[in-house]
Amino acid sequence: MDTLLATVHALAWAVYVGGSITMEWVLRYAQRTMPPSQVGVVCKNAGTRYRWFALVSLLVIGASGAAMFLRIDDAELAARAGSPELSLGDSYGRTMLLLTVGWLALAATVAAMAFWLHPAQRKRSRPDMTSEAIAAERLRIGRAIKQMDRALKFELVVSVICIGIAASLRTGGLI
Amino acid sequence: MPSDPDIWLHIIYGYLHDLAIATYLGGAVAMEFVLGPAQGSIPPAQAQVMGQKTSDRFLWLVWGSLGVIIVTAVLRLEHLGRLDWTWPFFNSGLSLDQSYGRTILAMFLLWCVLVVNGSLVTFVFRPRLAGKFTPGTSAAQVTASQTAKMQAATWIQRLTRVDLGVAVVIALMGASLKWGGLI
Repeated sequence: MDTLLATVHALAWAVYVGGSITMEWVLRYAQRTMPPSQVGVVCKNAGTRYRWFALVSLLVIGASGAAMFLRIDDAELAARAGSPELSLGDSYGRTMLLLTVGWLALAATVAAMAFWLHPAQRKRSRPDMTSEAIAAERLRIGRAIKQMDRALKFELVVSVICIGIAASLRTGGLI
Repeated sequence: MPSDPDIWLHIIYGYLHDLAIATYLGGAVAMEFVLGPAQGSIPPAQAQVMGQKTSDRFLWLVWGSLGVIIVTAVLRLEHLGRLDWTWPFFNSGLSLDQSYGRTILAMFLLWCVLVVNGSLVTFVFRPRLAGKFTPGTSAAQVTASQTAKMQAATWIQRLTRVDLGVAVVIALMGASLKWGGLI
């Protein structure tokens, strides 16, 4: 059961972090040579799919992480190198808390992208729009794209840092 | 913060190893289930260009990850005292009469499968997809070339799916090592 939970947890992290690295490193590179209209179509399609993968991965990370947390055996933990303890007085406990905060930051970012930033990029055009209204709409979409870009970079950096924090748990914690 | 440089080294090896595995596995999932279907939403000619660009870039990630995975795996085993640089290289924890040793061997063999599949994709099937027609090409040659390209694309898709399955099994085995191994 422990092995299965750890595998599911690791796979969910891998899908999430590997996915965000691929979106940034592979998709962004391919977009550079594509016509702007097709960039929009590909971004919409890939973005919609990716946000569901990211949300499901984060949910699985949270659920399997909570299950693993509940199954921590104090005696088994104390037997590890450095005798870590699950309390804020010990590096292991503080690192675990930091990892939880990281997960919360990622969940909030992905939720904001899925339910606010991504829908905000949709063009709202009506036949009766004045040229000022069209310009304002373009400006709004431009701002939404920039915010999405920042959110994606923040997500990538935090997720890569989280992998490092999690890796430090094997040796008793980081902070 | 750990003050022992040895612990830092162990954290850095573990971090790079985990990050490389995440890049390989998550990248394969994103290519198969996110970028692949997104390619279908644009005209075929543009989709082919996009496919070529994304595959070229992704292959760098694949080879980089496979390289980092094996190097950090060896360094971690050496750091744990299960491997050393003098004969017979493997220490007691890595003998085949223990589950830990058998699981490590199985993971290494599966890593070799990923390398073989990666080589087939990079050096055999990808070049077949990149071929261009010259003005004097006959209709029969065009048909033969298109058939070969479609077969190559099918093989790449099959191998990518096999790699994804193999990587999941490796992750399962890796997770089991904390409890002494799987097989």
